[in-house]
Amino acid sequence: MEPDQLKNWLSLLLTIAWLLPLGGFALEIFAGFWSTRLKKTAAYIAVGCIGAGFVCSLTALCSWGMHTGYWAEHDYLTKFFQETPLGGDHAPADGHAADGHHGSEHDAHHDEHSAHGAEHGAHGHEHDESKYPTVFAGRYYQLAEFGSLQLEIGYYIDSLTLVMFTMVTLIATCIHVFAIGYMSDELTEDYVDHFVHVGEGHLHRPGRFYRFFAFLSLFSFSMLGLVIAGNVFMVFIFWELVGICSYLLIGFYTERKSASTAANKAFIVNRVGDFGFLIGLMILWTSFGTFAFSEPSAEKAAENPGLFQMLRDDHGQMTVEIADDGSHQVVLTGPEGTHKTIPYYLLVAAGIGIFCGCVGKSAQFPLQTWLPDAMEGPTPVSALVHSATMVAAGVYLVGRFYPMFTPEVLVTIAYIGAITLFMAATIAVVATDIKRVLAYSTISQLGYMMLSLGVGGWVAGLLHLITHAFFKSLMFLCSGSVIHGCHHEQEMPKMGGLRKKMPITAYTMLIGVIAITGLAIPGTYFGFQFAMSGYHSKDAIVATSLAYWGLNDQHVLLFILPLAGAGITAFYMFRLWFYTFAGEPRDQHIHDHAHESPAVMWVPLVILSFFAIFCAYDGEQGPLWGLLVHSEPAGMDHGFDPAAPGQIAVPGHHHVHEKMSGDATVHDVAGRYALAVAIAGAILAYLFYGARLLNPADVRRQVAGLHEFLVEKWRFDELYDAMFVKPVHVISGWIAALDRVVIDGFLHGTSKAAVDVSTWDRRFDEQVIDGLVNWVGDRTFRVGRSLRFVQTGRLRQYVMFIAGGLFGVLMLVYILTL
Amino acid sequence: MPELNFCILIGAVLFVSGVVCMATKRNAIGVLMGVELVLNAANLNFVAFARYTALGLDGQILSLFVIVLAAAEAAVALAIALNFYNNHLTIDVDRADDLHG
Amino acid sequence: MNDPIILLSAIIFAPAVGALILSVFNKEAEEGMRVFALITTVVTFVLTLMLWNIFDYQDPQMQLQVSVPWIKAWNINYQLGVDGISLPLVLLTSLISLLAMVASWSITKQVKGYLILFLLLETGMLGVFLALDFFLFYVFWEVMLLPMYFLIGIWGGPRKEYAAIKFFLYTLFGGVLMFIALLMFYFGSAGGEVGSTFDILRLQKIGQGLIPGVEFDGMTQMIAFWLLFVGFAIKVPTIPFHTWLPDAHVEAPTPISMILAGVLLKMGGYGILRIAFPICPQGAQAAAYVLVLIGAASIIYGAFAAMAQTDFKRLVAYSSVSHMGYVILGIAVWKVSDGSTVGSDYWNMGMNGAMFQMIGHGISSAGMFFMVGVIYDRVHHRDLNKFGGLMGLMPLYSGLAVGIFFAGLGLPGLCGFWGEAFTVLSAWNYSPILAIIAAAGVILTAGYILWTIQRVYLGPEYKGPHPEAITPINMREFSVALTLLIFAIAFGIYPESVFGMMRESTTLLVTNLSNTVNSGLEFAGNIIQ
Repeated sequence: MEPDQLKNWLSLLLTIAWLLPLGGFALEIFAGFWSTRLKKTAAYIAVGCIGAGFVCSLTALCSWGMHTGYWAEHDYLTKFFQETPLGGDHAPADGHAADGHHGSEHDAHHDEHSAHGAEHGAHGHEHDESKYPTVFAGRYYQLAEFGSLQLEIGYYIDSLTLVMFTMVTLIATCIHVFAIGYMSDELTEDYVDHFVHVGEGHLHRPGRFYRFFAFLSLFSFSMLGLVIAGNVFMVFIFWELVGICSYLLIGFYTERKSASTAANKAFIVNRVGDFGFLIGLMILWTSFGTFAFSEPSAEKAAENPGLFQMLRDDHGQMTVEIADDGSHQVVLTGPEGTHKTIPYYLLVAAGIGIFCGCVGKSAQFPLQTWLPDAMEGPTPVSALVHSATMVAAGVYLVGRFYPMFTPEVLVTIAYIGAITLFMAATIAVVATDIKRVLAYSTISQLGYMMLSLGVGGWVAGLLHLITHAFFKSLMFLCSGSVIHGCHHEQEMPKMGGLRKKMPITAYTMLIGVIAITGLAIPGTYFGFQFAMSGYHSKDAIVATSLAYWGLNDQHVLLFILPLAGAGITAFYMFRLWFYTFAGEPRDQHIHDHAHESPAVMWVPLVILSFFAIFCAYDGEQGPLWGLLVHSEPAGMDHGFDPAAPGQIAVPGHHHVHEKMSGDATVHDVAGRYALAVAIAGAILAYLFYGARLLNPADVRRQVAGLHEFLVEKWRFDELYDAMFVKPVHVISGWIAALDRVVIDGFLHGTSKAAVDVSTWDRRFDEQVIDGLVNWVGDRTFRVGRSLRFVQTGRLRQYVMFIAGGLFGVLMLVYILTL
Repeated sequence: MPELNFCILIGAVLFVSGVVCMATKRNAIGVLMGVELVLNAANLNFVAFARYTALGLDGQILSLFVIVLAAAEAAVALAIALNFYNNHLTIDVDRADDLHG
Repeated sequence: MNDPIILLSAIIFAPAVGALILSVFNKEAEEGMRVFALITTVVTFVLTLMLWNIFDYQDPQMQLQVSVPWIKAWNINYQLGVDGISLPLVLLTSLISLLAMVASWSITKQVKGYLILFLLLETGMLGVFLALDFFLFYVFWEVMLLPMYFLIGIWGGPRKEYAAIKFFLYTLFGGVLMFIALLMFYFGSAGGEVGSTFDILRLQKIGQGLIPGVEFDGMTQMIAFWLLFVGFAIKVPTIPFHTWLPDAHVEAPTPISMILAGVLLKMGGYGILRIAFPICPQGAQAAAYVLVLIGAASIIYGAFAAMAQTDFKRLVAYSSVSHMGYVILGIAVWKVSDGSTVGSDYWNMGMNGAMFQMIGHGISSAGMFFMVGVIYDRVHHRDLNKFGGLMGLMPLYSGLAVGIFFAGLGLPGLCGFWGEAFTVLSAWNYSPILAIIAAAGVILTAGYILWTIQRVYLGPEYKGPHPEAITPINMREFSVALTLLIFAIAFGIYPESVFGMMRESTTLLVTNLSNTVNSGLEFAGNIIQ
């Protein structure tokens, strides 16, 4: 296929995968009002749409690999794809399933591969080994155009997009299937919600099975739109849409006050982050005049370069000048090679602004408080939205937008990630609700990803995103299975010993736990490395942070915190497993009624646990790593030297593989430390909760203050309540009062004054002017009245008057003329 | 001009007689007669001035008007008197005080 | 029909003719009168669609111009025309009037008088948007005022007299200020070959210094601009001229609230775009900062005030204040530096965003008021703390309502988003601080809308009076709500459908105004100094 054909083919497939769930949503939400309340039709439509989406995504990934020669170049799956016609047999075609084809000889290939990293990462046509660009971009339609400013709905497809698409659709398919079982008690006209008390009893309502699947489909659409987005504004659009889907799903049990409050909290806290996002967008829009990431075609890029192309050259370097006034200025390459400069601090501000959005979406410190509350949603939602996909969107955006971040922004990201991962891990240690433990674990793992991206481990962070998505969705589904089996009991202190009752759940969960804690057997045996996906990704993260510390002495915390976090993670994850599945049951009643979930629920567990083990197979030599490296930003291979004004260095791949002590590279050293603390954490958990040799209550008593502090989640909710929520209500009260009292008061005062003036005016009119007029009239009347006596009506008298009058007049004339 | 003075004197006598007649008669017909006397006194003066001064024919023409007017007035006045009689069964003008103020 | 004078006059006067015919109807034939009035609004709507059909998107100039002498002694003409700025508003007016008429079935008191006044109101509104003679504009402006006064004052709620008088006085006050400006222009335009004129297009040219021998000097422009701005700002409304709005909305019957929020508020923005800015570019430029400040402050102020309300309709009314703040913000982001306009594309974007916000808000706020009306018709109260659980009792209504409220929240994919996003994005170019303040509105908006949804629609049970009266939404109400929601989604997904209509005209406006300042005319900045 020619590049153009491939582009059309990929965009067609991904567009279908993207839009199918939207169609599904429309069908389900309307079908729901007709007749399917008691049938599973909606679920089948949803599963069909997302499943077909998965097939499309996978086909796209495979086509891309085959046609760009990626598979051949990296020796993965060569034979398999050469024998398979395009779009043919998809059934066994999972990109990661056939990892076994890959031999260990690839180790030798690795160094060379690293050296080529720059080409892999370079944008657009610079990819000199292949006629295919690393990125395919195009537009669906235009939103608006103002002179030189254009906004459009477009797509941006590179290997990261393809991997994300495949991952999201695969996990979503599994979770949709799982939800058929989990939500089946909604298939009724009379659902009893035991969490809502109305009057004397519980709330009865019709089931809402179809609505759940409609919302899930809408979410899938939004999430895929976010991933495929061709520009950062489109990311923002779908960012908000996944937010609203999250709102709808958290608040699925609309009757529960706690659920609707949690939904509001999730959306509003996200909006706080989006406020920063919006500011970042404003800065970019005003400084760069475009939102497009980058334009792969050279001719078009000359006219309308994307953000990355304006800021960085082909080697990923940006040009910083020092202006006359001593401030740092970034040089941007505009259309037709024109140059302009913007202040450096603006670029930093834009980066931090965009990152604020990611902080909100990925529940990072200080906006992490919404995610634990979001567990009010049904468990499949927690698995899909609040662990595997949506919350990872923040990490995805940081990865996608990486070239726009200056080292100063990156170090901010790293610190936020480090603080988050540590804080959330500590809270997870004391949480007793099984879903909340997982929620804090999610926050903590997202912190790892952020940290990794912040310290320059672009691939490591995104690899962790993918691996985490698999094992965390697995664990959430397992917890869902437990909750389902225990009749909606979520408190771990009431569980225990469930291993025997629900073995599949227990052991798939154990796989997830081992994957997240990163336990592994060091070394390679029989051509295999006995390590699960989490080991590889977490290893890579800790290694990068060690390399970062090596380059930047003062940032030691960025290595210590993730290392400590690894130990705590192992502790609380094993604590969860032992608490729930091991030992003797703590609540016999619950234990007696517990049962293994039906196949529709455990089959997805098995599929996910397969990926939790194998998806990052072979770590840095494996296919997933290689795929991600392919879309790594330019220059990441060599890292970035300290540059003005922050003087912060960013490590590249070779820094991670430098020799550190003896033969051991940085990566090896970090791996050993991480493994050691993880094993220590796991053993401690075993002692407390597995063997029950130590009593956690004793420890709790000794550090009662700390324990309470952790149970209260570091008191962030109280803090925010006091700092933001209450003041907002107070201010809004004041403002409403301002309207009522001041503005309306002024108006009423004015109108009162006007009425007063008119009252005086009326009095003046009535008393002075009317009085005068009346007086004149009255006088006239009286005179006339007094004259009426002359009018006797007697003719003869009148004649006398006439004669007399005439005489008088004549006499007068006579006298006067004398 | 003794003739003129003589005429004016006769006119004055006639006028005063007419006025006295109007003022003293209670009978409406008598009052009417007084009116005629007053009018004719005026006529006499008109004619006299026309005859004996340089005023020309105006006086004579005006007196012709007055004669016509007097005839009309007499007709109307008699009609009023008749009507009055029909309503009050008398023509005593002292009884007719409907127009008093 | 393709003769412009017939078509435009037909659009304006079709409702008035309908009102005239209604006056001979038998007072008892309520249903017949309603149907007839509905047909009238449908006909008007179809006429505006015909106008849309012959409108040329590519032509930025005034199209279908009509000018017939009206009062020759004062050079007043019956002058009409339509361009990309007025056409969307004309379409919005006829659409909202049509939907409000459908919503008027719930009016049972003195139906005949109500319908007649309603149709007269529509004539006034359409006239305002189509008039090109300032005097004619003013006449229509006042024509629309009286029916509104009676519609609120007779068919309103418990405090209707207070609200009606407040509305009337506020608007009249603005109208008087506008009238002063009108006279200033009339006597100021005396030079040149035409003599004194009310022709808005000619006044624009004079204001922009394009007609030799006659001009409005800087001081005139400043004074006239402020007179006009206050007049229009009352209608928009911006703070601090907004307090008539909550009262008028709360007391007005539902369909009138729809028209009030959906169309009447837009007249303020339209007036600023059509009259205040083009005729007084220097005054506008000098005032730009204050305008942007007022816009940003309105956004925040309205949102805060909305959050504190307990009356459902009052809350929606304050949300209008907040949303219309974006309109002022977007119109005014005219940055001038060293005597020339900087980043006119951003200003253009702001103007387009403001126009879109007017359209989007016309759809969403009319929808929100309608949704409040639907529930008010059933339970006869609006206390936010006494709702709850409607999602279970009226699922279809609640679903539609939540959709429309999301449009008001500014969710992407719905019509409320583009206006807000574009005006805010364009504002950074003008003033970063004010842009940040305006952007903070997104948090507050989410806060009060979601809190409202939670209190009204979610929750286990309905807590207020008359629970027995809660019946599912009927077909008539459903059709109105669905129409609005469909428009909200359509504009939300494909905003170019609106932008395409107005882009050329706003671009021309921005170019002209920028040139005014660039051409080195005595520029208002000097006057301030």
